[in-house]
Amino acid sequence: MAEPLMADSRRCRLTHFFLYDGSKVTGEGDPTRDGICYFYPEKTPIDQQELLCGQLAGVSRCVSELSSSPVRVLRLRHTKFAIRMEEDLFWALGCSVDFPTVSMSDFLDQLINLFCFYNGPVRQSYQENSREVLALCWSRYLFYLQAGSTELHYIFSCLHTIDSTHIDPLLLLKASLILQACQRCPLVLAGCILFRGKVVSSQMPPDLTVMVMAHETQTYNKDERPNEVSSRVPLSGAVTSTTVHLTLSQLQVLRSTNVDRESRSHSTPSKDSKLPRTRLSRTLSDTPSNDSNTDLEADAPLTPLRLDGLLSPEESAARPAASPPPSHASLRSPEISPFPNRKGPRSGADEEEDEDEKSYYYSFHGGGSDPGCRTPGQEGLAEGLGTSRGTSGNICGGAALPGVGDTNQTLVPMTLYQHRVNGLVLVLLVEPRLQEDADAMEEVYHSSLASLNGLEAHLRTVAPGPPGPQGPYLFAHYDCVQNTLITNVSGGGGRGPGGSFVRAAALLHSHFWNSEALQETIIRSATTAVYATRSVAQETYFLQHGGSVRNSGVPNHQDTAFSLPSKARHRLLKHGVSLL
Amino acid sequence: MKCLLIASDSAEVLFYWTDPEFHKMVQDQYGASQEEGLRPPAFEDSINTLFAPIIISCSTMVDRLGDSYTCFTTESDHIYVLHQFDECLYIAVNGDSDEDEDDLRRKIFVMKKMMEILFGMVTLSSHLLRRELRPQDTEQRTRLWKRLQGLLETYSRLQANDQSFLVEAVERLVHPTLCEQCIEFLERRLVQQLNSSSERAGEEVLHAFILVHTKLLAFYSSRNTSPLSSSDLLALIVMTQNLFPSDPDLDVPGPEDVESASGPEMFYTPEPSPTHRSSSGSDGPAGGDAPMFQFVDPDIQIAEDSLQTLEVAPPPWAPCRVFLEVSLKEGLYPMVPHSMYCLPLWAGITLVLLTKVPSSGLAMSVYVYLEAFAKLEKRLNEGQEGVAAARGQPSIQELRSKLDKFIKALGPCDIQISQLQNVWSEFKRRAFTRGGLTKELIPWCKSMKTQLCGVYKQCFLKETSRGDQQLPPALQEQAQAMMQEKLMDWKDFLLVKSKRNITMTLTQNLTYLEDFPGLIHFICVDRSTGQMIAPSLHVTESSTSELGKGPLAHLIRVKVTTRHYLQNGYATVTLRDGDFYFCYFLWFENEAGYKLEEVDLPVLADDSAPIGMLARDYYRKLLRYYSKNHQGEVVKCYELLSVHLGVIPTDHILQHCRHLASKLWEPSRNPLL
Repeated sequence: MAEPLMADSRRCRLTHFFLYDGSKVTGEGDPTRDGICYFYPEKTPIDQQELLCGQLAGVSRCVSELSSSPVRVLRLRHTKFAIRMEEDLFWALGCSVDFPTVSMSDFLDQLINLFCFYNGPVRQSYQENSREVLALCWSRYLFYLQAGSTELHYIFSCLHTIDSTHIDPLLLLKASLILQACQRCPLVLAGCILFRGKVVSSQMPPDLTVMVMAHETQTYNKDERPNEVSSRVPLSGAVTSTTVHLTLSQLQVLRSTNVDRESRSHSTPSKDSKLPRTRLSRTLSDTPSNDSNTDLEADAPLTPLRLDGLLSPEESAARPAASPPPSHASLRSPEISPFPNRKGPRSGADEEEDEDEKSYYYSFHGGGSDPGCRTPGQEGLAEGLGTSRGTSGNICGGAALPGVGDTNQTLVPMTLYQHRVNGLVLVLLVEPRLQEDADAMEEVYHSSLASLNGLEAHLRTVAPGPPGPQGPYLFAHYDCVQNTLITNVSGGGGRGPGGSFVRAAALLHSHFWNSEALQETIIRSATTAVYATRSVAQETYFLQHGGSVRNSGVPNHQDTAFSLPSKARHRLLKHGVSLL
Repeated sequence: MKCLLIASDSAEVLFYWTDPEFHKMVQDQYGASQEEGLRPPAFEDSINTLFAPIIISCSTMVDRLGDSYTCFTTESDHIYVLHQFDECLYIAVNGDSDEDEDDLRRKIFVMKKMMEILFGMVTLSSHLLRRELRPQDTEQRTRLWKRLQGLLETYSRLQANDQSFLVEAVERLVHPTLCEQCIEFLERRLVQQLNSSSERAGEEVLHAFILVHTKLLAFYSSRNTSPLSSSDLLALIVMTQNLFPSDPDLDVPGPEDVESASGPEMFYTPEPSPTHRSSSGSDGPAGGDAPMFQFVDPDIQIAEDSLQTLEVAPPPWAPCRVFLEVSLKEGLYPMVPHSMYCLPLWAGITLVLLTKVPSSGLAMSVYVYLEAFAKLEKRLNEGQEGVAAARGQPSIQELRSKLDKFIKALGPCDIQISQLQNVWSEFKRRAFTRGGLTKELIPWCKSMKTQLCGVYKQCFLKETSRGDQQLPPALQEQAQAMMQEKLMDWKDFLLVKSKRNITMTLTQNLTYLEDFPGLIHFICVDRSTGQMIAPSLHVTESSTSELGKGPLAHLIRVKVTTRHYLQNGYATVTLRDGDFYFCYFLWFENEAGYKLEEVDLPVLADDSAPIGMLARDYYRKLLRYYSKNHQGEVVKCYELLSVHLGVIPTDHILQHCRHLASKLWEPSRNPLL
């Protein structure tokens, strides 16, 4: 396990990761090593491990006490650490200094969330399992999060999706139809379809998709079950299931998405998420196709979320609210972050619940061809719990924000149902009861079997095709809502234009993240000029090759750097990125 | 909630400054753990206890990992910036989000710069600096710390309110005729008269300048004098402002200001009576007590009472010893002693004289020897021994004979000099007769450096050593009177002008509203001379703080974050932020105004000195870096920062910038040249 990890770690320049349990080291005589639950790189000499754990945990505790607030980031001259402190548990993830701090913190959040998702609360897992067993888990998750991406993927910590440019849109539609068909069973919360480790279609928020994929990627890669609790379902060898743990807020998002549209109303949303459902079926055919349009338009004036990219061209043209740009104040406002793990702001959480009635659409690439698949409304958010706030990734209850209380600490066991057809996998998050309900299980299985086979056959025959149009430029387009990235940068890092593009993107991404009102920027050094623009839903970065006319740096409107915005608008259209 | 702390590696507090909020927080945290009935511990001890684990952990990391902490951030956005200079650890804390990491690091470096100005080469020996910063005598310590706290507060105030400190460049008052007259007056009348006086006690006026608030009206350096560096000039302005604060909020005291204004008010008496002079004539604790430092809590007041010791009033007309950089033909000498005389003309207008200290040649010699030993130590550390370690200038033999003569010339044997003599004899014995140049000499190199710094300290920092060396009060009074007479008619004009130096509506040759529609603000800096031009910003009539506290001021302040891009090698940045469009350009020209080709700028590390001119002159390094490829050419470096309304088309904005860049520094149009 350690070997491929070492090879890959260069990419995100991960240097250290450890979990330290301070409660094991309380007395004067207790050796620090007793508190070290996991340390990466595993081959690090123990005294080195003790030094880092002891010093970092100690100094962080001291600073936290001074400021009455846990430490998030700790920097040294040659390395830096993302820190999470929760009671006596102390996580630190070390990266090289040039990796963006935002991305580093996201990485640590994802890692801890993954662990909690598959193993439940950290302390409890350490009571129930040996350190060796759990060490294997940590290293597996580290490996998964670092595997097979470019540096840009780390910077944006985004999902891996299939390259949709060579795929018949009908196939994507088909995928989302399969997912909806599965949802006819009320015990199914949400699902996603993966092909060869990449997302084809997903109904879940991106943070959940990432976690669900971890399991799939491992079974796909190793073709063996991990050591966790799982049970064979009698249906077929292709179906497996395993226990996972969701936070209440995640569960609420899923359950509220999964509602009966007919009984839904804007003014009086149902507050009970466990409402007994009157109908099983919620497929395309029984949804009035114009219904969603009305919903959207009703919502649109309230929604700063730009749905243009998701709507069909006619719809976005018809949408009155599409044209005025979102106000600056709402750029990072919470209403666009329904996902508990979104990299949203930590402020303004209070407004969130009022805004929960918005349309969100988690399916990838389905685009405008599939209006019925939209799931307008997030009703049923139990108000009393109030956990749908932007908790910045404290999924397993991290240092809970004031007001969130203990609700986030609670992890609810759920079941992850997985149906594999060669490279294609249908993953469903289902209520644990499904496993006892043989009929329902069978229904889910059979309702999707044929379509899955068909989809697999089609996807398999799709040739990977030539890489997208290369052109004399580099770009990266990050969708903050779906957490996906389109880019023509293949390698990343290193020297040359690719390297400087990645470095500039890292710098600008951090700046965007820190500055609410910043919309676009051009930065130029003697050899590189990069243009970046962002809206509430996306960030786009663009670099044009060539044109290396030496500039003096004095203000000059003929400077090629300033023509980048129009070039980007023009060039990126053929990648499906509209900057208009 | 702000704090700045300097600690030795043994976790001893060498200096601290806190704002009232931080002060209260420390007391609360510490008071809670105290048993009832016991008097709370001295504040210094509390803060020491609180920070000790961080300081100790920091030195552990350095020792065992060769790495040190640079920054912590907490979930509530508290920022801790740490920086180690030799054996002193500086920690700056902000808990109210109005300073970012760069600001804190800047504060640390400015503090370091102030130390260098005040203590000179003593800062090169951690051992001596520790003793200097933390005198055994509590009274003395309190006085020193108050003075340093005052300087820090003054700097923070200027940095927050003054454009020239925001970009760290000197702003001149734009009035060519008057400037010229003043310079002439300084040269022909004032400096000449002072330097030809027989009573001047060996002091020689090298530089004389007039400040109107923080803006420079006239600057004169006598012939063949090394120019005053921008960094030093900015630091001296901070010191002058600390002595005679011209806090804009105090000029028009509102009801709430009355209390805070009462302190510095005495400096505003038009013609200071002798008693006032006594407290204003030197950089004493009275001047350091800036109005920002107010105590809100009675507990704090009690604790602070322990610090309110009897203050010995400094002698009237005492100059302030400052250590400035001197560049001579032979080379660059940092921290050469000078005396600074701040003569207040009227409230807000100050005449500053910098004089050469008779024995300043000694400081240069000490520096040469210090450097020689430092180089030798470095080579020995790198494992070079024998001949390899001895190469370089001056050669080891030359050093030996020179140092022998130097010590002999030091003359009367007091303890310090005899110690230097002893260490030097021991060094010679080991280096020239026994083992030669080996690693064993390393501690002796260190020891020589400490002794040299000790001699330096003895000569230039001891109170007694400068009692007799100063311009006699009568002479100073004469200078003050001459200048007052000269500027009497201009006084009110100057005070107003300093606040409306360049207005957006009209300057001599540019009418911004007509020529540049949509332009809101700009700052243009000539980094080769360290001077800036920017329109004055007035948000309201009552708030005369130049930057104000309005949203625009905030934006401009934030946009100085373009430094962050410069740090990463980007010399051109445009930002569309909210309703505004910001542009930043940095470029090079030769003396004829020909625009030189851009080169890739060096990328700086995260914890490197902040980009600016006050603490460490980044631009001087940049110019040196750039000039490598332009030998024999004078290279100039300019910066332009502009703020436009976001609705203006980008093309227009860029054309505006182009015009501004060419017009502002065009010799015929520029009102400054």
